[in-house]
Amino acid sequence: MLELRGLSKHFGGVKALDGLDLTVDEGDIFGLIGPNGSGKSTTINLICGVYGETAGTVHFRGNLMNGKPPHTRLRAGIARTFQNIRLFPNLTVWQNLWVAQNSSQDVSAHGFLPRWFGATRRTRKEIARLLELADLGHKGDELASNLAFGEQRRLEFARAAAARPKLLLLDEPAAGMSRQEIDNLGRRIRRMRDSGVTILLVEHVMELVMGVTEQIAVLNFGYKIAFGTPGEVQRDKAVQEAYLGTSASKSRPVDGSA
Amino acid sequence: MGDFWFEFVEITQTIGDGLLFGATYALIGIGFTLIFGAMGKLNMTYAAASLAGAYVGLAAFTLVNASALVVFLVSALASGLVGFIVYVACFRFIPIDNHLAALMASIGALFFIDEIIVHATDGSPLTFPAMFDDVMLELGSYGIRGDLLFVFAVCIAGTFGLLYVLYRSRLGLATRAVSQQDVAARLCGIDVHRTNAVTFVLAGLLGGIAGSMTAAAVGVLSPLITVPLTIKGLIVTVIGGLGSIPGAIAAGLLVGGLENVFLYFRGVNERDMYVLLLLFVFLIFRPHGIFGSAIDRD
Amino acid sequence: MSYYLGLVQLIGIHTLLGLSAYVLMLTGQLSLGQAGFFAIGAYSAGILTVIFELPILPALLAAAAIASFFAFLVGFPALRVKGLMLVVATIAFSEFVRLFFFNLSWRVPRGDIEVGPDSTNGFREIRFFVANGWSAWEITAFVWIFVILVMAALWWTDRSRAGAVLRAVGEDELAAQSVGINLTAVKVTAMTAGGFIAGIGGALYAHTATYVDHLTFTVLLATFAIAYPILGGLSSVFGTLVAVIFIQGVLVEGLRFLGDWRNIVFGLLIIAAMNLKPSGLFDARTAQVLKRAVGLGGKD
Repeated sequence: MLELRGLSKHFGGVKALDGLDLTVDEGDIFGLIGPNGSGKSTTINLICGVYGETAGTVHFRGNLMNGKPPHTRLRAGIARTFQNIRLFPNLTVWQNLWVAQNSSQDVSAHGFLPRWFGATRRTRKEIARLLELADLGHKGDELASNLAFGEQRRLEFARAAAARPKLLLLDEPAAGMSRQEIDNLGRRIRRMRDSGVTILLVEHVMELVMGVTEQIAVLNFGYKIAFGTPGEVQRDKAVQEAYLGTSASKSRPVDGSA
Repeated sequence: MGDFWFEFVEITQTIGDGLLFGATYALIGIGFTLIFGAMGKLNMTYAAASLAGAYVGLAAFTLVNASALVVFLVSALASGLVGFIVYVACFRFIPIDNHLAALMASIGALFFIDEIIVHATDGSPLTFPAMFDDVMLELGSYGIRGDLLFVFAVCIAGTFGLLYVLYRSRLGLATRAVSQQDVAARLCGIDVHRTNAVTFVLAGLLGGIAGSMTAAAVGVLSPLITVPLTIKGLIVTVIGGLGSIPGAIAAGLLVGGLENVFLYFRGVNERDMYVLLLLFVFLIFRPHGIFGSAIDRD
Repeated sequence: MSYYLGLVQLIGIHTLLGLSAYVLMLTGQLSLGQAGFFAIGAYSAGILTVIFELPILPALLAAAAIASFFAFLVGFPALRVKGLMLVVATIAFSEFVRLFFFNLSWRVPRGDIEVGPDSTNGFREIRFFVANGWSAWEITAFVWIFVILVMAALWWTDRSRAGAVLRAVGEDELAAQSVGINLTAVKVTAMTAGGFIAGIGGALYAHTATYVDHLTFTVLLATFAIAYPILGGLSSVFGTLVAVIFIQGVLVEGLRFLGDWRNIVFGLLIIAAMNLKPSGLFDARTAQVLKRAVGLGGKD
């Protein structure tokens, strides 16, 4: 589904990412972990086109994505969330989801005028469904900036889902969350996958990563240093040295994962 | 052959004059760039404040018949003071991340100062004292106007004075720290507001020199030059690359030299149009300025 | 009476000018170049009615189209620069336009006189309304038809998804791209629409004033253009209208006794307003509170 070949990004002399090869299969929940500055966020930004790559290729469902702007990649089916939440703070929750109705079906199914100036019944139903899924059903008219932190995270997740993506990139979605919220998030991610969305999860919170992912790649200093199932990665010597250290033994799967 | 030679001398002469006068643009550009570097903001009042300083200097000349040197000094000091007032009125109390509000406030101050000048002078141009305006250095077929050479020398001295303060004093260290890492500087105990205020005063002093030198080179001070000088200063800043002092110097000289070329071929009415076109050429082909090292901050 | 009608016309025209900046500001673009598009509209419409002797309506629409075409062209290089660089680029554009008209001389004989733009002497005798016997009331109605049409169109856009998209781009470009919005298309469209609206305003201005010259279109006019939506806030088109009425009607007219000192007060007012209310007199929060208070908080 997603194939990165020799993907590199240099900022001046700094090699944020150096020759990354990665294959994510359809229907996977794929984890991407590594210490701070190891190139995880850079990888996400390269996949969705925020940065141009220094070298290498990004293939999505067999199509070369290099040079395509973010909005084109979204319509091809790549959606994302941000490490530090980026909502439209002065738009309402409802408008945040309305703006995001840009999946390829939306673009082709409606005419120009209804798409930009109308709100069809189907769109309204779709947004109501997203709000319901995000437990934000009663908050539709609230400004996004008035939401609590957890609600903002859920809204951003829903906004990414609004594009009906085939691949969802989650950039540290559990940062700053409580145990219970992380468990909820784990369930949301799994439900998303079960509805046919492939997930690439960049995360520091090991409970979440070890609990939900099926494959994990570990980055360090812009290189991939390990790859395998959560169990394999946890046993990997290089990984333990580079990153997991003692915290690996403390981590346990999230509730409801079994 | 003779005609060609004559024309060649004319053109190179006019370019040379332009380069000398361009030093004042460089100074204005440095001032804009300095403030941009420190706060990431455009101080639209800057050129107007510089000319206001020159007007205060001129007042000293008219009232107590001060010598030209004193006039220049008073101009610089007055402009530094105006810089401080502008900082307090338009930047100090507006949230640091609100660029729009600070920009608007400084435009408001631009018109405020402009109107004060218009009212104080009835909108008419006033004679400004120059130095060495009766000197003409002969260099073969070329002549170098003494007053322009003086203007150039003062501007160069002003630039070096600024660089000395920035790179050799503790004050300059703080200024540079704030411009590079606002938060880190704060954590090191640097008072950001004080440092910003100092930057405005420094830029103001420099602007006062630029304002009085502009007036000295032209021989008159007129409210008609406020907005054009603002725009030329902005052009120099952008061509030099926002935040780059060497860029502003190079761009100031470039604009000064080229503007006289445009003047020579197209006349005074069309001159500024071509300077503006020069900006668009840079925006399209070198949006980060001459040296292309500008940081992307907006 | 006709003096007050003149003021009502001026308020309408300045509302158009303010709205042309409003559209851009929704997408987070600050342009100090609206005076340039206004000038293009004014000179184009004047040339079309005076030299080509077109009726006012086609001349006005053509002038707006010409202004929007230049706005479209400016939109592309302007995309490469953001924030403060865009401010500088648009000031430069506006000054370029002003200097172009300062140098433009296009005189054609009409009977025993010459008409058309006469560079430094300005463009006189744009006498379509007078020549066709329009009354001051009719001219005022004509101006306000366009003001109402533009306001209605923008108000409607604002409540639609297109409006939300414009605002989304203004709030966070990266997030907007990431939910599939084509930044280039949105920003250039806003720029073009802004040019069109400023063009209408300029065309109306030239014909109501019957005389324009390059000094009409200075940075001061461009500052007025952005001051209206900033003071009126970006939550609704009506804010811009209120700001125009306040500045042109109350402030400029009310301070007539101050004579030439009015511009100083204008400068001070901007400084004070920005210090006290940096995000505009009506920001989104204030607007929502107000809407709730009067029970207008609809679903969209």
